[in-house]
Amino acid sequence: MSAAGTTAASVPLLEARDISASYGHVQALKPTSLHIAEGELVTILGPNGAGKTTLMRALTRLTASMGSVFFRGEDISGLPTHKLARRGIVMVQEGRGLFPQMSVRENLIIGAYLHAAEAEAQMGTVFELFPRLRERIDQIAGSLSGGEQQMLAIGRALMAKPQLLMLDEPSLGLAPRVAFEILSTLSELNRRGIGILLVEQKAPLALKLARRVYVISLGKIVAELKTDEIKSYHDLARYYLH
Amino acid sequence: MHKRRMLICATMAVFAFSGKVSAEEVFKIGSSVGLTGYAAVVDRAWRDGLAVAAEALNEKGGLLGKKIQVITEDNHSQPQDAVVGYRKMISSDEVMLFNSGCVSAGNFAAASFVMQAKLPMYLCSILPQRENEQVWAFSFLAPPKFEIESRYRYLKEKTGIRKIGLLYDPTPYALMMKGLGEELAKDFGLEIVAQETYKADDADMTVQIGRINAAGGGAVVKIGQGGSTVTAAKNIKQLGLDKMLLLSSNDDGSIFSQAGEVLGDRFLFVAPPVQLPKQLQPGPSKDAVDAFLKYWKPKYPDRDPANSARAWDSMMVLAKAVEIASSTEGKAIRDATEKVPAYTGAYATFNFSDKQHVGITENPFLIGKFANGELVIAE
Amino acid sequence: MTSHATISIEPAGIRWQAMLPVVAVVVVAGFGLLSSDYVVTVLGFAFIYTIFCTGLNFFMGYTGQASFGQSAFAAIGGYGSAILCADYGWEPLLALFATMALSGVAAVIVGFPTLRLRGHYLAMATFALGLIVYEVTIEWTGLTQGYMGYSGIPPLGIAGYELVTVKQQLVALVVLALFGVAVAARLRQSRFGRALASIAGSESAALALGVDIARYKLVAFVIAALYASAAGSLFAHFIGFISPEVFGVTMVVQSFAMLYLGGIGTMWGPTIGAIIVSVLPEALRGLKEMQDIGYTAILIFILIFAPRGLAGLSALFGRVRGRVKEAA
Repeated sequence: MSAAGTTAASVPLLEARDISASYGHVQALKPTSLHIAEGELVTILGPNGAGKTTLMRALTRLTASMGSVFFRGEDISGLPTHKLARRGIVMVQEGRGLFPQMSVRENLIIGAYLHAAEAEAQMGTVFELFPRLRERIDQIAGSLSGGEQQMLAIGRALMAKPQLLMLDEPSLGLAPRVAFEILSTLSELNRRGIGILLVEQKAPLALKLARRVYVISLGKIVAELKTDEIKSYHDLARYYLH
Repeated sequence: MHKRRMLICATMAVFAFSGKVSAEEVFKIGSSVGLTGYAAVVDRAWRDGLAVAAEALNEKGGLLGKKIQVITEDNHSQPQDAVVGYRKMISSDEVMLFNSGCVSAGNFAAASFVMQAKLPMYLCSILPQRENEQVWAFSFLAPPKFEIESRYRYLKEKTGIRKIGLLYDPTPYALMMKGLGEELAKDFGLEIVAQETYKADDADMTVQIGRINAAGGGAVVKIGQGGSTVTAAKNIKQLGLDKMLLLSSNDDGSIFSQAGEVLGDRFLFVAPPVQLPKQLQPGPSKDAVDAFLKYWKPKYPDRDPANSARAWDSMMVLAKAVEIASSTEGKAIRDATEKVPAYTGAYATFNFSDKQHVGITENPFLIGKFANGELVIAE
Repeated sequence: MTSHATISIEPAGIRWQAMLPVVAVVVVAGFGLLSSDYVVTVLGFAFIYTIFCTGLNFFMGYTGQASFGQSAFAAIGGYGSAILCADYGWEPLLALFATMALSGVAAVIVGFPTLRLRGHYLAMATFALGLIVYEVTIEWTGLTQGYMGYSGIPPLGIAGYELVTVKQQLVALVVLALFGVAVAARLRQSRFGRALASIAGSESAALALGVDIARYKLVAFVIAALYASAAGSLFAHFIGFISPEVFGVTMVVQSFAMLYLGGIGTMWGPTIGAIIVSVLPEALRGLKEMQDIGYTAILIFILIFAPRGLAGLSALFGRVRGRVKEAA
């Protein structure tokens, strides 16, 4: 099913219309719409507690949500998380969601759950992007450093051959240099054609990577900006200070 | 590492398994008892009754000159543990006979291989269900109908009450007895006007007793053991039912005393002779009770003797059987047990024959009451 | 399929050790065969519990869920085999498979709604399942004969040939237990096994990677039920008698002790746990009234020094060895 009034060429990779989510009586995410084009890297920027994580979970159905989501024009609103993964929508959760008792190798192999036949080749790609993981292949994931764990989380998501990779604050708790290194890899992945939706709290990093930014505050998207139009961080600050 | 530990454990097991004692001049009796779990109260009494009887028999030279040694294995009231214990007593201890407690499932589970080993089983519990297993088993348990009949007869003969209520707990034995209670009432000219159930740990039974009273019941026939009997007595008093009788199942003497303190002579209970030793008429029953209490009282002055007396009786039957058989071999004892003439013990009279492997064939129970601080026969 | 040379779940260099536990099991069983029927009986129970716990390990160890109600499926297996063989003259093996199928269906029906629950709620729901089946075995006397129990169950056998002695039965139980462990090991290293491991690791991460966790939980639950059912049937044939107490709470407690002592989530943990928990009380029989105290004290001692179970201990040593090798 194709979204009304759009031609095939301009069908977005992902489009959400009036998506919302509640925890009990609290509406953590107010009806919100957004889209990501094919091959685009979009950042969602916002302060703590603004609803960034809820938005990600709502999009991937880890949290029950209302509203519609389209993937390449197909209505995927009713699909459970694991079926989204089959279509190529893969999320790296905040806190990485690794299997800490398992080795790097085991984590990666489980990542290739949907593509077991291509696991070997895919693992090669991951090691090419993150050579550090190759060195640590038999190490237990829980014993890796924060940066390495984040690399493994992204690597594991890549094993699932994503078309759209969603990342929830991959820079969280990392030294600036390591965070930068990891985010640069995301640019590289984006160059290879993977659509990326990145949630970030650190505006400088976010702006450096993305061409388009959504600003989220108090549970809804309050602005959509092109990064080349932002002259200074003061332009952003007003969204943070409601 | 774990393999080594496993080997150590296995080695430990070898020593434990193979710790045989010389079998000469000893008559070994195996006893599978539930010293913990639901059967603990009865089975501890059973174990101690066996020990006291063995002591008494050994003083007289044992069985055909062999000292009796009772080997007890705790089955935790679980059939699986009972099976292991029975196996151990057969292979490692090489017992010549079993005299086991009241965990019927445990005894049943072991019955088939005990039979194959050609060892007689004397049981505190009911008999196994299969006929070929019953050949080797002898039960020293009173059939449940006797407890009901004694109470009904008392009501019929000693009171004017003809309408009664049954108050029972949902344990299998109680349910069986309740069924018999319904069946037998007519034979004694009684009408059951109410049937009420309770749980063993209920702290209040006024509702049930109130209903029995409202239905016109003049007596509560309580089926089930434990402190609930005392609770029922208290509730009858609280409700001000000053004509209502309470007739309890057989139980520990301490329960009878407590309930008797509350209701006085309106509390009546079922008891074998050994629980009411003071007023027994001279005769074989009194002799048997005295013989048992002579050994029991000094050791356990404050314990109720009923179930231990039953165990004692089973050992006395065994002694007679060995005497008849002139042998301590399993098959010979089995055959001889069927030939033991009616034996009047401290608990009941046992009347085994080739057709009768449930020894108690005559109702052994008396009706007792609590008067002047002790348990006495109710007239 | 990919080649195992480059991608394998097991770290390299552990393969030669994989046969050690099999050898140990065979040695223990062989020792049993040379001893009395008493030792054979103890070991027989150990291997029946090995099967039960290996199944439970699927659900609790590999998948990280809680079930306190596996005894329910053992009861279905046990009573099913008892009734089919004693009353209808079925072949024991046929009855074993038939009751496994029945347990599997029951597990699907029960698991479908209950497995939506998590953590303590799932534990409570499964516990209730165990209690319900326990009550049914007591109350439905027309079918189960209640507390009187079911006797006259023939021993295990194939094509009319009965395994009359307990030693023959022990051999059969060892073979079946090893087969059960082998199947579990095979499944664990498959894609299916990895999916279960991902659920145990993090449900949301597993979902995000495309694992249908609801389905896999159900499958793991059903597999555990199949093993439990087989164990129940084997128990019935081994003893020839069953009663409700056999499949009561004690079975649950016993199997938990085995699972945690041996090492939950490991391949050989259930076997090690089952053997030790079965043999240990016998080794301590000499302590008489102190037996239970001694036994529990040793269990606690082991759990303090090997909190991940005895099988976990060997993995730890394996890792230290590996590190030493690396350094050299």
